[in-house]
Amino acid sequence: MTKQSTISRAEGWRRRGPLLPALIFTIVVTQVPFAFTLYYSTQSWNLVRPGSREFIGLRNYLYVFRDSQFREVALNTVILIAGTVLISAVLGLAVALLLNRTFRGRGVVRTLVITPFLITPVAGALLWKTAMFDPVFGLVNFVLQPLGLGDVEWVSQFPLASVMANLIWRWTPFMMLLILAGLQSMPTDVLEAGRVDGAGPITLFRELTLPHLRRFIELGVVLGAIYLINTFGAVYMMTQGGPGVESANLPFYIYQRAFLGFDIGQAAAMGVITVVATILISTLALRLLFKTFTATREAA
Amino acid sequence: MAEIAYKSASCIYEGTDTPAVDRLTLEIEDGEFVVLVGPSGSGKSTALRMLAGLEDIDEGTITINGTDMVGVPSKDRDIAMVFQNYALYPNMTVAENMGFALKMRGLAKDERRRKVERAAQLLDLTEMLDRKPAKLSGGQRQRVAMGRAIVREPQVFCMDEPLSNLDAKLRVQTRTQIAALQRRLGATTVYVTHDQVEAMTMGDRVAVLKDGLLQQFATPTELYDSPVNAFVAGFIGSPAMNLVSAPVTSEGVKLGGTTLPLERDQLAELHEHGLTSATVGLRPEQLEVAHPGEGVDVRIDLVEELGSDSYVHAHLTADDTGEPATLVARSHSRTPGRLGETIAFRKSHGPVHVFHPETGQRLAA
Amino acid sequence: MSDPARPTSTAAETPRKSASTEAVVPRPSTENVHRRRRAHRKHRGVGMIWSALAWIVGLGFFFPVLWMVLTAFKHEREAYTDPPTLLFTPTLDQFQAVLGSGMGLTLLNSAFATAVSTACVLALGIPAAFALSLRPVKRTQDVLFFFISTKMLPIVAVIIPLYVIVNEIGMLDNIWALIVLYTAMNLPIAIWMMRSFFLEVPPELLEAASMDGASLATAVRRVILPLVSPGIAATALICVIFSWNEFFFAVNLTAVRAQTAPVSLVGFITGEGLFWARLSAASTLAALPVVIAGWIAQNKLVRGLSFGAIK
Ligand SMILES: Nc1ncnc2c1ncn2[C@@H]1O[C@H](COP(=O)(O)OP(=O)(O)OP(=O)(O)O)[C@@H](O)[C@H]1O
Ligand SMILES: [Mg+2]
Repeated sequence: MTKQSTISRAEGWRRRGPLLPALIFTIVVTQVPFAFTLYYSTQSWNLVRPGSREFIGLRNYLYVFRDSQFREVALNTVILIAGTVLISAVLGLAVALLLNRTFRGRGVVRTLVITPFLITPVAGALLWKTAMFDPVFGLVNFVLQPLGLGDVEWVSQFPLASVMANLIWRWTPFMMLLILAGLQSMPTDVLEAGRVDGAGPITLFRELTLPHLRRFIELGVVLGAIYLINTFGAVYMMTQGGPGVESANLPFYIYQRAFLGFDIGQAAAMGVITVVATILISTLALRLLFKTFTATREAA
Repeated sequence: MAEIAYKSASCIYEGTDTPAVDRLTLEIEDGEFVVLVGPSGSGKSTALRMLAGLEDIDEGTITINGTDMVGVPSKDRDIAMVFQNYALYPNMTVAENMGFALKMRGLAKDERRRKVERAAQLLDLTEMLDRKPAKLSGGQRQRVAMGRAIVREPQVFCMDEPLSNLDAKLRVQTRTQIAALQRRLGATTVYVTHDQVEAMTMGDRVAVLKDGLLQQFATPTELYDSPVNAFVAGFIGSPAMNLVSAPVTSEGVKLGGTTLPLERDQLAELHEHGLTSATVGLRPEQLEVAHPGEGVDVRIDLVEELGSDSYVHAHLTADDTGEPATLVARSHSRTPGRLGETIAFRKSHGPVHVFHPETGQRLAA
Repeated sequence: MSDPARPTSTAAETPRKSASTEAVVPRPSTENVHRRRRAHRKHRGVGMIWSALAWIVGLGFFFPVLWMVLTAFKHEREAYTDPPTLLFTPTLDQFQAVLGSGMGLTLLNSAFATAVSTACVLALGIPAAFALSLRPVKRTQDVLFFFISTKMLPIVAVIIPLYVIVNEIGMLDNIWALIVLYTAMNLPIAIWMMRSFFLEVPPELLEAASMDGASLATAVRRVILPLVSPGIAATALICVIFSWNEFFFAVNLTAVRAQTAPVSLVGFITGEGLFWARLSAASTLAALPVVIAGWIAQNKLVRGLSFGAIK
């Protein structure tokens, strides 16, 4: 017995070996800094006042929750993520349906559609700020001119919406790709069976296609939200969070507080809050979703 | 060449309590073709993979030519294996697939080529040597998998349901080819199948497994003629042996309205155990169709026409207990009777098999 | 025809399929043939409308990018016009100006950070993906969820200590700091994605190779890697996209020497007024490599973005 169990322990390490470098590296680079963030969040520490550093327990969190700007920014973040994700999902579904047919040049059209997702985010943001949204020379106002809407100052009048427009342009292709994959994984015999059973196209879509797509859309929404929580370049380039904090999201606001306001303690506390909120929401959703998607081979 | 011995070998998968293979003991002779057979989940594959070194031997041991195999990696066991899904290397041509093991052994290139070509000739694969597996038919892939095993000239062949992905006709054909090939090469072979016909036609000896436990290890005729328990009796033979629970009388057992006489030693053992009922077994070919009153009266439920023969499924008419026992008889006549008609089944030849009603163990020889 | 189900239901009837069903039906009556043809023609007409719409949508999404590229070839005065200028004589002035003003270095920095971090991701990720698929360790699920959970950690939550640490060890404005961070950023995605490719390899192949006398390393090199190499290539391309486009770390941790291409774009908005054409040229240069990488990898993009969950 002992002989065998030592063998399987050796085998265990042989299996673990290849994993360890990646695991250790990831822990060191992601978890250790986060532990520091936790620590900093208990400090009163402003770089502008050297030597002022001291332990203040959870008071930073109190300040943060009392900070009305923080609340506004948190709300902005939720609006930005939820709005972008939902609108992108709807648009993505529509585009995916268009692209799920065979037609001449389908590959080219798909390539065109995904380009906004690939382009460097800051370049895309600049493009929208200038070429699209410029009040005088922008294309949006040029197109809207015949409708009598030609002189809106998009970025300064609707900063959050402008950022969101840029993000939707960027994330619709992402949703489209996921949903298109869902459409293409739809077994055709099911649709055929439905048609034989006398269902019309709308019924087929509602009763068969949409339920099949649901998991894909859900995955798109959750993943999209996880990626979008890190949105920074678009805000930085288009509005700098302004006016005031009207268009700032959490990453930008924390960046401002840390690198422009030098308030390390409070910025760290905000970071912790962001993480807790993100992890709470996404762990649950992701665990559920990945169960339905991935089959796993566990250790024998 | 190789003698193989399983000595109380067990395998327990992690996360399970019951062993997948439970204290298996088998002595396989040099050059023998042994078939492991049993229902799904009975541990056949596991037993084979333990021999091949793909699963740990958790208890007991397996020896090849007397050498303990515990802890010996599969590459050092000189065993070739044919997998159910063939496991051909998709990125290599047929020739490369077959030559891979030789390459690993460090054989020179032309030596390799010679061996591969000889094996290919044997298996009629010469034309396909430069193709990739994806461009082969199922039967051809199967032959490549065989070829990959035989070029190595290993001590032992392991085959795990190598024919289950072929269609019925090809399966029968390949069955005989594999058997012939094995005789010719003389390598000890352990072959897994859940198909008892395959087991009976191919094996020198057959090991019947159930729930990880060895039931019987014997030649096909022995399995057929004297199964050690009701499970083996029911598993071997097609259609399956009729197994009916019947009350014991002084001369035999009561089946329907009539008495089926038993051998004296069978009766003696029944009395010795103090049994008032027993499970009796009659193979369909031991029953013949007769006129009512000439045997056990039955009513026909179904007649299976097979061209030359037919199988008559019927139930006992005189059975007063709730669910009437059903019997199957083999008839050489094409029209043994109509549906719903009352006929009789009569025992034609051979002994009645008698099993313990609870343990299922065979009683007397 | 605002019927959203149309596309899906027609997709099932690829031309080949309907042809084969026709072949099975022996000699249909002439009336039937006519009716079918008529239906077919009507179908075609509706199909054209949908195809046209798809093209319009595709061009619509692409148009801003196209406009950026066009503007990059304009003279500055053609960039600011109302109505927008469509016809102009293309010039390479802007590209020259951009590259002359030091963007070349940032492009090189980006390329270096991207290439090296991607190589590191593969070096760390391939063995890890292997250990989480074909030869799974115990508690595979937990490890996988650890990796994915690091992606749920908003980057902003670690930037402060990272800045402090990087500053302490004197690595500010050093490209290697970015390389380490980009590797950590992409590693979880790469592991999940490559694992999904590894899982498609039948585990019997490894067993067959080991029976054929190959050591594990040989089996992986000769049998497994050739099979998963397209997947690894796709994974690499996705890592390239993410690290090239990265902005947050770069803007906070680099200044001059290690500045990357996306950060260099900031310089074009902070000057007095905007130079649209020059900005467009810079944006085009910054965006081009990843757009091409993404186009190449587009069939595997979904898999990477969904951590291998969607094939
Ligand atoms: N990797 C594994 N982990 C846990 N249990 C396993 C594993 N592989 C097999 N088992 C269990 O071990 C038992 C024997 O499995 P085995 O594959 O040997 O059966 P088998 O006789 O080959 O069946 P089949 O005819 O279906 O191939 C089964 O109960 C099965 O569920
Ligand atoms: Mg099996």
